[in-house]
Amino acid sequence: MATDDGALMRRVGRGDRAAFGALVSRYQDRLFTVAHRLLGNRVDAEDAVQRAFLNCYLKSDSYDPRWQVSTWLYRILTNVCVDELRRRRNVGSPGPVSDSGQPSEKPGQHLDLRRALERVPTEARLLLALRYVDGLSYGELAKVRGISINTVKSQLARGKAILRKALR
Amino acid sequence: MDRLDVALATHFSMEAAPEALASRIVERVADAGRGVRELLAEIEITSTDQGVCLIRGEHLAPPSSAKARRWTEQARVELAEYLEGKRTFFSVPVDLSAAAPFQRDVLETARSIPFGEVRAYAWIARQIGHAQAVRAVGTALGRNPVPFLVPCHRVLRSDGGVGGYLFGTRVKGRLLALERSTPVLQGCTTTRIVCRVGCIHGRRMRPENQVIFASVGDARSVGYRPCKVCRPLADSTTH
Repeated sequence: MATDDGALMRRVGRGDRAAFGALVSRYQDRLFTVAHRLLGNRVDAEDAVQRAFLNCYLKSDSYDPRWQVSTWLYRILTNVCVDELRRRRNVGSPGPVSDSGQPSEKPGQHLDLRRALERVPTEARLLLALRYVDGLSYGELAKVRGISINTVKSQLARGKAILRKALR
Repeated sequence: MDRLDVALATHFSMEAAPEALASRIVERVADAGRGVRELLAEIEITSTDQGVCLIRGEHLAPPSSAKARRWTEQARVELAEYLEGKRTFFSVPVDLSAAAPFQRDVLETARSIPFGEVRAYAWIARQIGHAQAVRAVGTALGRNPVPFLVPCHRVLRSDGGVGGYLFGTRVKGRLLALERSTPVLQGCTTTRIVCRVGCIHGRRMRPENQVIFASVGDARSVGYRPCKVCRPLADSTTH
């Protein structure tokens, strides 16, 4: 039977590298997908996931068991991704250099959606990614970003409104 | 579920992480801690009444007055926080009065380079109105009396080379990596206040209450207000 997340985190907090490896294996796909969709390319996404897990390991002794491990990991990951987006904005980067690792679907529609997502403000885009990659609830999203549930709803609605307008 | 929901669900569908990502992360964890923190043990700081005047990796004469001792102590605390990735700015004053006018111009310009960013030696030369004096700029930075506080490690060669550094190029690279992985703006989920990392309020923040923002505008959009102590809006990198 698989060890539950809480028990795994307790072992990570005691410096158990094997438990940490198991935690990484369990969450790497979800975290990588969120980072990839937010940052736009696999290299930056991989770096962000590595930094997030590193922070997770270094701060594991401050993990509060009242938190779900996934929520806590998403908080750490979104912190890393948001700071990467700030850095890009400051150095005047033209935006993420996207790669071809996207899932297949109607190519035109996908490209349009990706472009449209670039018009969505950072916070709303982040909430959309978490909501659609892993189906996080409003409550979990609120906890990940430290905002109220009403703000989550209004940000998601705002993000979708921008997308609808851009895709019209 | 409308068409947009379907499109979003497809766009955000789960994908596999790169192969061997887990093993690379575990390796990186093993390397963690071997950073620049040990540097603090070998650093000596001295000050005048006006501020910190010298930081070196050798024995220095102790500060001569109580005020100077306070500056030295504050600099040591802030430097420790900086090297631990808990500070992105220094509030301790520096005393550059012993520097020649040209060197002071160079140092003041280097001081204006925001945390986490880099500039070329030639950029500094242009900024101070001596576009041809790139080599002299390098010399002035090489004799920087207060490294870290005047961030000469953020100055690189135009060809992308790291350039020299008082504590060695390895330390310079480590400092740049440290700044790359240190966020600048943090919000507190309980007070809904957004501060610059290193602000006195931020230090009291419990780790689980910390969220990072890309800009003050983003923080405001979700109900946070800027701190009145560290005033993040005054920092050009956080607008």
